[in-house]
Formats: sequence, C-alpha cells, structure tokens
Amino acid sequence: MIPGLNAIVPMACVTAAAIAAMTAEAFRSPGERMPIAGLGLVGLAGAALATVALWNQNASSFGVVTADNFGLFVTMVLVVVGVLSVAISGPTIERQGLPAGEYYALLLFSVAGMMLMATATDLVVIFLALEVLSLAVYVLTGIRRSAATGAEAALKYFLLGSFSSAFFLYGIAFTYGLTGSTRLDRIGSLLAAQSMAPTPLLWLSVGLLLVGFAFKVSAVPFHMWTPDAYEGAPPAVTGFMSTGVKAAAFAAFARVFLSAFEPLRGDWTPVLWAIAASTMILGTVVGMAQSNVKRMLAYSSIAHGGYLLLALMAGNEIGKGAILFYLLAYAVTNLGAFGVIALLDTAERPNDQVRDYAGLWNTHPGLAALMTIFLLSLGGFPPMAGFVAKWYVFSAAVAAGYNGLAIIGVLTSVVSVFFYLRIVVMMYMTPADAPAVFPAVPRLAGAALVVSAILVFYLGILPARLLDLAAASIGTIF
Amino acid sequence: MPALNHYLVLSAILFSIGTAGVFLRRNLITILLSIEIMLNAVNLSFVAFGRALGSADGQIIVFFVMTVAAAEAAVGLAIVISLFRHHESLNPDQFTALKW
Repeated sequence: MIPGLNAIVPMACVTAAAIAAMTAEAFRSPGERMPIAGLGLVGLAGAALATVALWNQNASSFGVVTADNFGLFVTMVLVVVGVLSVAISGPTIERQGLPAGEYYALLLFSVAGMMLMATATDLVVIFLALEVLSLAVYVLTGIRRSAATGAEAALKYFLLGSFSSAFFLYGIAFTYGLTGSTRLDRIGSLLAAQSMAPTPLLWLSVGLLLVGFAFKVSAVPFHMWTPDAYEGAPPAVTGFMSTGVKAAAFAAFARVFLSAFEPLRGDWTPVLWAIAASTMILGTVVGMAQSNVKRMLAYSSIAHGGYLLLALMAGNEIGKGAILFYLLAYAVTNLGAFGVIALLDTAERPNDQVRDYAGLWNTHPGLAALMTIFLLSLGGFPPMAGFVAKWYVFSAAVAAGYNGLAIIGVLTSVVSVFFYLRIVVMMYMTPADAPAVFPAVPRLAGAALVVSAILVFYLGILPARLLDLAAASIGTIF
Repeated sequence: MPALNHYLVLSAILFSIGTAGVFLRRNLITILLSIEIMLNAVNLSFVAFGRALGSADGQIIVFFVMTVAAAEAAVGLAIVISLFRHHESLNPDQFTALKW
C-alpha cells in the first residue's frame, strides 16, 4: 500500500461500498431483491478493520487528514452508528417502499463524510466533509417523497443547514485572511506565538465558526431546525442523523476549538457557557411539553448536545475523554430508541405519538423492555451507559470549575427523567385505546436492538476499558 | 487600484444582502438565490485574502466552494420541487405541517 493514503482507508472502504450500492440499484431489475444492506455492512466492516490497524499509527494523508487516535475513536463510533443504522433501516425501507440502493448509498456517503470530518485537520476539508455529510442527510430526510412532512422537514433542514454553512465558510475565510493558512496546527501555533490582544476581526472569525458548529450540533439558539427535521424524517434516518451528525460535528468542534483556537480560550468560553446552559435548559423544558415521541427525542437530543458542550468547555483531560465516551454511549442508546420507533412505524400510520405506546407491554413485551432500557439510559439511570457518560461530563465540569453549569446539568437531567418515564408509564400501565396492530419484528433489526441494549449495559457496568481507551485517544492531540 | 479593505467591505455587504434575503423574502427560489449570494460573498473574501497574502490557496479554495454550491443548489431545488408537488406553493409560510 502507499503509506500516504493510509489515513483515508476507512472512508475509502465506506465510499466504495456506497458506490457499489448505487451501482447495484442501477442494475437491479424492478422487483428484484438484492442484499444491498449486506454491501453496506461489508464496507463498514472494512472501515472497522482499517481503524483497528491504524490505531497508534498517527497516519497522515495529504497533510490535511490525520488518523490520530482521537479521530479513530470517533471513526469507530461512526462505524457502530453506520452498522446499527443499516440494520434498523431494513423494515423502514420495505414498509415505505423506499429505493434501497439510493437509501443505503446516501447513508454510506454520509458516513464517509462524517469520518472525514472527524479526522480532518484543515478547515477547508472540515467544510467539505460537513457538506458531504449534510447533503446526503438532507436527501435522506426527505426520502419519503409521498409524505408532505418529509419534504417539509428536508426543506427546513436544508435551508438552515446551508445558511449556517455559509456562516461557517465566512469564518474560515477570515481565519485564512488573518493567519494565512487553513491548517489547524499552523493556525494554533500562529495564534499562540503572537499572543496578541485578539483583534475584532479574529473575534468575528471565531464567532462565525462557532455559529456554524452550533447549528450542526443543534445548540440553542440555533436549534430551530432540529425538532422539525427529526419529526419529518423516517425514524431510522432520525436515529442516524441524531447520533452520526452529532458525533462528527463534535469531533470537529473539539478539534478546532481545543487545538487551533485554544489560545483564545478565555474569549470563547463565556459565549459557550451561555450556549451550553440555554441548550440544556431549553431542550429539557420544551421536551416535557411534547406529545410526539420523535419530537420529544429531538429536544432530548438538543439537551444531550448541551451536556457535550459542557464537556467541551471543561476542556480538561477528563472532559475530552468524556466527550468521546458520551458520543459512543449516546450513539448506541439513541439509535436503539429510534430503532424501536422505526419498528413500530408502518406505511399507514407512523405510530409516533406518546399515546400510541399505550399497552405496548401487552402486545410487544420485547420491544417495550428494550425501549425502557434505552429511555432509562437517556435519562441517566445507573447502571446504563447514559449514567456513566453523564457522570464523567459533570465531574469534568466540576474539575474545571464550572460548578454552576454542572448544577444546571444535573437538574435538567433529573427533570428530563420525567418525560422519558412518561413513555415507560404509557407502555406498562396504560391500557391501549384500541388493539393497535404493530407489524412483526424482522430478525436483523431485532438483533441490532438487542446488541445495542447489551452495549448500553456493558458501557454502564464495565466502562473502565472504554474510558481508558478514550483517555488514551485524547493523548495524541491537543 | 482597490485595496483589500474595499473587497472585504463589498463582500460583507453582499453577505448581509444574502442574509437579509433569507429572512425577508417569501419565495423559496429567492431564498436559495440569497444563500448563493452569501456563498459567493465568501468566495470574494477568499480571493481578496489570497491576493493580499500572495498565496494561491485562496483562489483554489474558491473552486471547492463553487462545487459545493452547485451540489447544494441541485439538492435544494430537488427538495423545492418535491415540496411544490405537495403544496402547489413556493411560500415557506404555507408549510406548517410540522409545528410545535
């Protein structure tokens, strides 16, 4: 192999699988069934192998993509997100009659973009990766062309997403103008060496980049698109974008702000303080008022973004490790929850109102039990993954001296338990209005949900191994 | 001979026009055009900075941005068409199926 290309092998595997899926769809005769999902899984397995092989190698390609352990950890999280998403997408595609090849190709292209975003060390490459992943996700959001809500969700997501990318790009332009480079390491060393009083133009560029990232991680006040996009998209896609996009965006966010703009820390932390606090509070408070499960989980996802921002702000060793662990824990938990929603979703009825979950325990005890595990983990109950993840985030915040934010975080996560438990109560204790007809559970999707539940418990009970891994990953950069 | 400042001011004006267009116009096609104006305003800054710094990077980045803008326009127009089939309208105020 050519050593200079090593760092891009994981995304190359996924891209190859995406192209194969697209080609397979083109040659598929109408009505013919093809194992396109299998192609996707092969590509993701290749990416996983490449990630393991690249571990500790610190490979770099073209000087702008660096497969350091931090990036590789996030790549691994993205592989998990990709595999689980492919597995839970099967029933959605079949029931809604979606084009399988296009769906999986877009999903895999998006995963490739996310991997690039997590490992890129140049602002322009981060921008390109952001666009690669976003464009695919915009289309996936609106892939149910027969549904008016799908198109509307895609439009809202697209308009606000491309609007925010323009801000992000403007920030890159100013950074380039001020430092003469778009490479993160050069920007960082230049800013540190100058140790100048930051000029207004520098503030402007940091602010614009912050706006761009805040949009992508759906932080308040740039969260308006999230509930609409999450509700209108098919549930499998919502699970994918709430976990994958968040993981990739936070990886790049941490890389840019904790390495390149580290010297300006004192200037951007107060802004981030306000954003993190309002994100946690708004996500939780508005989430309580929702009657649609997908919309409720959208606000929950906003609140979880707030906890991640808290870890990012802390910026200490525990905080950086906590970001990585949180991303993994959130990925398996949230994808599991959306997997259950996807399995209850039929072509006639989305079954996504809280009311629709009444009596689920009687008709589908397995799904109800799995949903309970995922919801309790989202709420941060021990011994699930969510508890350990939150624990580390809050201890990082306290160690960094952000006691106020840590208190807000603990309080909001206590309040958030209320709306997670609402669904649990609905499933177990409320009799169904009418005997709801839910479709049978396909084997692959069911297996994926069980695996996620096992991972949720594994991360919650035996987190030490992965926490060590996360701590070791952050040693390679920053 | 215009200096760097002139280009940057023009770029900022164009960017503001684009931003205002996204918020104020009530037609999806015009909103898409406004986003294109914003991206092109940024392109102008890149070129101006590249020239001022004496490096070709700024000019090269613009090619990438133009490609992204084209892809974005393709996806955006496709979404607009699919939405128009449902609503027979291009006014974003009419799309209220998803609301809190």
